[in-house]
Amino acid sequence: MIKKVVSVIVLALVIAACSSSDGGGSKPTDNFDRQTMLLNWADNIIIPVFQDLNAELSALVEAKNTFVTTANQTNLEALRSAWLNAYKVWQYAEMFNIGKAEAIYFSAYMNIYPASVTEIESNIANGSYDLNQSNNQDATGFPALDYLLYGVANDEATILDIYTTNTNAESYKTYLSDVVDHMKSLNESVLNDWTSSYRDIFVNSTGNTVTSATNKIVNDFIYYFEKGLRANKVGIPSGVFSSGVLYPEKVEGYHNQEISKELALAALKASQDFFNGKHYNGSTSDNSLSSYLDYLKTITGSEDLSALINSQMNAARTQLNTLDNNFANQINADNTKMTMTYDELQKVVVLLKLDMVQAMNISVDYVDADGD
Amino acid sequence: MKKFLSIAAVATVLLTSCSSDDDNEKNNINTPSTYSFLRNGESTVNFGGQTTRIAMATELVSALSVNTNTKASLQAMFNHAEGDQDFTHADLNASNKNVRSKVAASNDFFATNTTLSNTIKQDFDGWITDQADNVFPSWNVTASAGVAGNLQQLGSTTVRYFNAKGLELNQAVAKGLIGGLMADQMLNNYLSIGVLDAGSNVQNNDNDVVEEGKTYTTMEHKWDEAYGYLYGAEENPESPVLDADRFLNTYLRQVNDDDDFSGIADEVYEALKLGRAAIVAKNYKVRDAQVAVIRENISKVIAVRAVHYLQGAKSDLEATTIDYAHAFHELSEGFGFLYSLQFTRKPGTGMPYINNAQVNSYINTLLAGNGFWDVSVETLDTISAEIATAFGFTVEQAAN
Repeated sequence: MIKKVVSVIVLALVIAACSSSDGGGSKPTDNFDRQTMLLNWADNIIIPVFQDLNAELSALVEAKNTFVTTANQTNLEALRSAWLNAYKVWQYAEMFNIGKAEAIYFSAYMNIYPASVTEIESNIANGSYDLNQSNNQDATGFPALDYLLYGVANDEATILDIYTTNTNAESYKTYLSDVVDHMKSLNESVLNDWTSSYRDIFVNSTGNTVTSATNKIVNDFIYYFEKGLRANKVGIPSGVFSSGVLYPEKVEGYHNQEISKELALAALKASQDFFNGKHYNGSTSDNSLSSYLDYLKTITGSEDLSALINSQMNAARTQLNTLDNNFANQINADNTKMTMTYDELQKVVVLLKLDMVQAMNISVDYVDADGD
Repeated sequence: MKKFLSIAAVATVLLTSCSSDDDNEKNNINTPSTYSFLRNGESTVNFGGQTTRIAMATELVSALSVNTNTKASLQAMFNHAEGDQDFTHADLNASNKNVRSKVAASNDFFATNTTLSNTIKQDFDGWITDQADNVFPSWNVTASAGVAGNLQQLGSTTVRYFNAKGLELNQAVAKGLIGGLMADQMLNNYLSIGVLDAGSNVQNNDNDVVEEGKTYTTMEHKWDEAYGYLYGAEENPESPVLDADRFLNTYLRQVNDDDDFSGIADEVYEALKLGRAAIVAKNYKVRDAQVAVIRENISKVIAVRAVHYLQGAKSDLEATTIDYAHAFHELSEGFGFLYSLQFTRKPGTGMPYINNAQVNSYINTLLAGNGFWDVSVETLDTISAEIATAFGFTVEQAAN
């Protein structure tokens, strides 16, 4: 009897050994210290980003208050510059769609573009609106301000008229004010959640399951790079997803007309800094995806993925730098340069979404629809 | 002691059988006699999208020969939008699929090369536009160097229509689609390891996890979609008889009819069947070996036909009385197959046998000056020889 049991066990072991050998050999154990990476992300990148965004949004609120009190060209310029400063910091924050940010659809209320002019105008005309209502996602945030500060009339003088002599001037000012306050309040709730409780949950979620902090952030990061940067900023306006039909009006900062490149470059820098674990606004770096890949390289002898990814991100930056400051102009003049930029960004996506996650044994939690 | 020995013996036997060779691995694969695969008694084979696109391409190519069509109507057939009344078949009009979006759109070749993909799509747009703008208005003009119009074949009632360079544009589109749509989607997309193994496909296939509401796993379906680009127009695709469309399917038959390449059609069919059966048996090594067989042979079909037509044109041009209508027809078919070479796939590499830059240089040579009116037989021989060498056959084998 015992003999039978033993041989059955042996049999089972042998069969198990057999079937696993199909998978291409056993991998060395991954003992990378995920917690030091999570600590670096939380304390040196994510929380400082939301704090800086909070400071910039406070400045935006102040500039807005000044403009609402005294609507003149000087105060309009100051308000615009506060908007741009905050918008640039936003490029660092958008990827951290986790915790409170994920729960309240933070990024959807902050940066869905193009903003809907129809909805904004109708909100202003009606005077009754709930900016937390999902229908208003494209009537709030940075893109709504892009319209209100640059696109609400055809020239500078007339834009100011909207807030001064226009019969609806008060309604415009109220809406402008509400949108800015709404953005500030959303960011406060995300930041407060991080500093009060979420930070500890995050840094202690060291496992490798689909809901672990590393796995979620890696997915957020790739998703941001693929959708927020590659698709939204470059691919959609240049017709990659519309059989070549061009949508210059869908570039980020369309009404401003000169910042779509600046914002895309900021987003690329934010992505690369995060990948390399560079402290926000600092010069030192600690554990992040690049050091994780370097560690995996030493235990598996695989290729130097972190170098490949950095060099491909640099190639994407070189291509981005060839574009007009206003992507809408670039699309109208020579869209090929846009799609060439898209292609360089897509090469980064392939490295991140296939090679990197495979090395880290992390599964991608979202899929693209294929057509057929 | 005896016990350990017997365990050791059993283990040794099992381990030996475990490190199986290819034959043993094939043995656990149940390859059916026809391309029929069932799960719980229901078919798991589905490639409706491919059948639809072949049908759309067929109508488009026919429409290019009807001079009352407009540029807009032709473009709409190429780049159909769901619900638009672009085709004679209601099913096609209702479909949300179209041809253009799948031209030069494979995962392996174009996922990070949208710029080239756009250029290639624009080549097709350009041929369609040229037909509507320049050839249709010259329908009754006699073609000559630099002048679009018609030419009648010698001793025949067949009239052909050429652009100013002697190119028959419906041939450029039809033969270009064999590579740009069919071969590219088949070899570089649906048979791509990146597509077959994308996401959780392997895990799901290993555990027989089927797509929601479907009978097939995603990996099975991807393979079937590759099958569909070759056999999707067959009346009974399970047992293909070939000559079912005017694209890849028909030219596989034509190459197979050449004694130098006979058996190629069977080889492709068997590899598609075995690869699909290997997916059912979760044997990815055998599957991947079949991918290589299919890539090599389908690529070869395109190359053989390119050389065949260039050589056909050469003999026309060398005749005492030159039949320009026939020569340019051959050249136009050859042009389309030549264009398609950039979508072939050399097994074991991520590259075509002949790349886009090389193809463009051939095409620019053929279209230089007054195009086919100026082309020399030396040029045709040079290009033919280069293609034949790249694919490992001889010009003579392809020419007859």
